[in-house]
Amino acid sequence: MSKSLAGRAATAVVAVLAVSSAAACGGGASGADSGKVKLSIGVFSDFGYDTLVKEYQAAHPTIEIEQRKVKMEQHHTQLATQLAGGRGAADIVAIEEGNVAQFRQSKDKFVNLADYGAKDLAGQWTPWKWNQGTADDGNFVLGLGTDMGSLALCYRRDLFEAAGLPVDREEVGKLWPTWQDYVATAQTFTDKTPNVKFVDTALNVYKAILDQAEEGYFAKADDSYIADKNTKVSDGFKLAAVLGEKKQTGAVAPFSQEWNVALKQASFATTTCPAWALALIKAGAGDEAAGKWDVAAAPGAGGNWGGSFLAVPKQGAHPKEAYELAKWLTAPEQQKRIFKETGNLPSEPVAYKDPEVTATVNDFFNKAPVGQIFAASAESLQPTYRGTKDSKVTPVFSNALARVEQGKQSTSDAFAQALKEAQDVAK
Amino acid sequence: MTTGHHQRSGASAPLRSTSGRENRSWALTRFDNRYTPYLVIAPFFVVFGIFGLYPLLYTAWVSLHDWQLIDGDQGFTGLDNYAKLLGDANFWNALGNTLSLFVLSTVPQLLAALGLAAVLDRGLRGRLFWRAGVLLPNVISVAAVALVFAQLYGRDFGVVNHLLGLVGIDPVDWHAETWASHLAISSMVMWRWTGYNALIYLAAMQSVPKDMHEAAVLDGASRWRSFWSITVPSIRPTILFTVITSTIGGMQLFVEPQLFDPGGTATGTGGSDRQFQTLVMYLYEKGFRLFDAGYSATIAWVLFLVVLVVAGVNFTVARRIASQG
Repeated sequence: MSKSLAGRAATAVVAVLAVSSAAACGGGASGADSGKVKLSIGVFSDFGYDTLVKEYQAAHPTIEIEQRKVKMEQHHTQLATQLAGGRGAADIVAIEEGNVAQFRQSKDKFVNLADYGAKDLAGQWTPWKWNQGTADDGNFVLGLGTDMGSLALCYRRDLFEAAGLPVDREEVGKLWPTWQDYVATAQTFTDKTPNVKFVDTALNVYKAILDQAEEGYFAKADDSYIADKNTKVSDGFKLAAVLGEKKQTGAVAPFSQEWNVALKQASFATTTCPAWALALIKAGAGDEAAGKWDVAAAPGAGGNWGGSFLAVPKQGAHPKEAYELAKWLTAPEQQKRIFKETGNLPSEPVAYKDPEVTATVNDFFNKAPVGQIFAASAESLQPTYRGTKDSKVTPVFSNALARVEQGKQSTSDAFAQALKEAQDVAK
Repeated sequence: MTTGHHQRSGASAPLRSTSGRENRSWALTRFDNRYTPYLVIAPFFVVFGIFGLYPLLYTAWVSLHDWQLIDGDQGFTGLDNYAKLLGDANFWNALGNTLSLFVLSTVPQLLAALGLAAVLDRGLRGRLFWRAGVLLPNVISVAAVALVFAQLYGRDFGVVNHLLGLVGIDPVDWHAETWASHLAISSMVMWRWTGYNALIYLAAMQSVPKDMHEAAVLDGASRWRSFWSITVPSIRPTILFTVITSTIGGMQLFVEPQLFDPGGTATGTGGSDRQFQTLVMYLYEKGFRLFDAGYSATIAWVLFLVVLVVAGVNFTVARRIASQG
């Protein structure tokens, strides 16, 4: 009896071990059982990869792809913990432009794509985009560029008409060659229709102004903290804060739930819109607003806001296959298709100068020739230098502007407090 | 109970054990009685050791270092992090917010739960329905609750401001004002936990002997009087239990205020001026947004000590109040 019991127990233990080791095999993504290589891609918002992934799988029967979508903020926090923990990251991860400098600091956790020949691809991208994804004078290739966010300004035609402003997008663009002109237009608008906010949030105005400067919070030369000396920072902050002080902004957090509600209620007339924001505006405003929004040129020189990179964490089991997939997804042919599907602007001149792209119009935005508008501003684009601690300093200034909008602080107090806090964070 | 059982078998076994075989079975029984209880509870302590004690000690170790989330240990710094924390205005702000939110949400919550339980304890029609109903808010995902409450408290198009407007009160910027944000978040916490505590109280109240109430009624005591003089003292241990668990929960408040922040987890610092940033939110900001794991671990340990102190104080106060009542 006891012997048979022991025997049974031993059998059970062996069975459990066998099952768990089999499971471990599957979890380790070696995929020996099915003979397939399993790749995962971690992205946020809409990269437009759904159909492309299916196509790639069809063309490569040995590869199985899983797409993981998380909110942008969570995506980067998660990625940081996964890199720290040494496991759990997807085989390919998207990194947003505002965060790429920070992850560049931890490049030893990523595969150097140059090892797989990525340097040969350099010519595909507009040079600044390629450079943002590299380190060590271009010898370390961290990520391949996906889209970019050249800037335009979206406005509501019906609200402009009510305020006696022009509605034609060419005319509207001429209203504001500079941001000062934009602020002046805000005054004209408020004088006529005081109950409607001119712009959704001062935060995005400030962000757009700063994105048109060559340097922001950190020096291009040595990554040192210069926010307290850089007049672009203080000027931009004050300009945006004026709108907040005069209550000409909706004072909503950008892209938040409240922002969506404000869009739906048509409670503001303009918003800064990088190429990728068109989809967000359309989703928030809903179908009943079709044809009411339009796209005009942004004040100031061209600037870039957003856009991402695909990187391959070292912890993945299939760096070679992951690289091949990332290379394919970021190739001009695919970038063009993504633009037509989601509006994410290609970061490769071959793609954004392609007639297919430049001829694209957006029906929702009153048939605006978005291909032309964004490609044009892509050409004149001056990318801002992102410091390694940019993503840590940025929220400090956003909070300061929010305090001005909420009437909690004067512009100068808010800016002084922001400088003090930023100094601590940048240390 | 265990000792009683052990003594009983220990006393009876030698009387019958004459042969060696019986002796051996007696030894086995004794082993069984003496050690089995430990073996049975051992898994808990093993699991606790791995998932509770080890992280606790490891966190203490991390807090003594300059430790970056991704890049790891950057060198031993001793108690530097602790010294820095005590001089950190943001830490004291977060501690104040945590205590304020705790008092605002827990005191009314437990009183309301007590009242709710007293009502449920009386023979209501459809008892099961009501009892299940009060637990419902607790079952709903906190993310969903936070989303709904953030809408209710919207500045421009929120229902609460609309209702206030009907009685002539100007719209309140719930996310911007300190007191307003605390009230809004407390209401969210109360919504989630009042029913849960009410059910715990109800369970305790049902074991209070009915004849005590009947005797009190005969003596001419009012319902109110018999509630405070009989019911509350009888369920004292349960009240102490809920006070302790609410303290631990309240001091670690995180999800409700974090999701109430329109900036979300990315840039959220508990409002534009840290109006409603709690200790755990500050821990999260330092550790997972600024990647300063060492400092974050320090906050975790100080929080642990704060919880111990506050729980101790609450326990003493609650015991005194309940015994006087």
